[in-house]
Amino acid sequence: MSNTPSVHVSLEQAKLIVEYLEAGQQDKADELVAEIQNPINSSLFEEIGKLTRQLHDSLMNFQLDSRLNDLASADIPDAKERLNYVIKQTEDAANKTMDAVEAIFPVVDTIQQQVKKVAPLWHKLMHNELTTDEFKSLCVDIDSLLKTTGTETDIMRSLMTDVLMAQDFQDLTGQVIRKVIDLVHEVEESLINMLTVFGISTEAAQEKVLPKVGDNLVEGPIVNTKDRDDVVADQVDVDDLLSSLGF
Amino acid sequence: MKVLVVDDFSTMRRIVKNLLRDLGFTNISEADDGSTALPMLQGGDFDFVVTDWNMPGMQGIDLLKAIRADANLAHLPVLLITAEAKKEQIVMAAQAGVNGYIVKPFTAATLKTKLDKIFERLG
Repeated sequence: MSNTPSVHVSLEQAKLIVEYLEAGQQDKADELVAEIQNPINSSLFEEIGKLTRQLHDSLMNFQLDSRLNDLASADIPDAKERLNYVIKQTEDAANKTMDAVEAIFPVVDTIQQQVKKVAPLWHKLMHNELTTDEFKSLCVDIDSLLKTTGTETDIMRSLMTDVLMAQDFQDLTGQVIRKVIDLVHEVEESLINMLTVFGISTEAAQEKVLPKVGDNLVEGPIVNTKDRDDVVADQVDVDDLLSSLGF
Repeated sequence: MKVLVVDDFSTMRRIVKNLLRDLGFTNISEADDGSTALPMLQGGDFDFVVTDWNMPGMQGIDLLKAIRADANLAHLPVLLITAEAKKEQIVMAAQAGVNGYIVKPFTAATLKTKLDKIFERLG
């Protein structure tokens, strides 16, 4: 401190110190010396004080953003559950649809078989080649075909209604996913705020970064094939690429 | 002809099974990832494998490599049906010896075309 140029001792102060010392008033002399040094200390303290306040404010802002806390503790777990609900709903819908379709196949097969059975005799009838016995047999077959078609089409109609109803997942999952998108948006804004509080610019880091990939480059379905040149857009692209490799 | 369908999603296995059945394949077994599929292949007399790529446990590409590395299975035709669409991956699969590559979403007609091509090549 003694060599700091901003310390100025006036003649009066020096005389006063000598007076105190001569009078044996050591305390007072020390006090005066401290007072002379004070201007430096006070500006240093002021600077430290300012920094402390800033840090304090930053931490307070950070804490005050209790929304962040809610996001982490409540909203994100809730979103995970919502997305699991989407998986469940879409899986149920796919299974319901396939149940119905798999049930329709044999119905169609039955009708097809009966039509095939009737066809040869019907052909003969149309060409006036049918015997009386064959005509009787044809009548029995047609009778059975009409009855089967009647009942089977009722079954098909009901199964097709099941397929129709299974599509209700679209509305439900759409609503859920939209909510999760809103949440992701909010998390994004909170994170940007947080980075700003810590003085990190998010714009500087906005270079094009590709999504993280897993083992064997696994990335799942690509939703923005148009914006990327490292992916194929469809089966035609796959076939072209493979044939260029001599496939 | 005995076929093994490998996919972690049961709905996708069901779709592929239905399509294969429609194309005349009736003897179809299922596995939910490579590590389940491999012992099945080693233990059974399968003629054809249809597999997804992205599965927990052993992935489709690793199953393909394991098949090609196993003298008893190396000849097995393998068809990948996957959402993985990076050119690098398609090249990787080709180098690993895949017999066909179908990207999801796909159609019944695409599956038929690829199967015809695979079996035509095998003669």
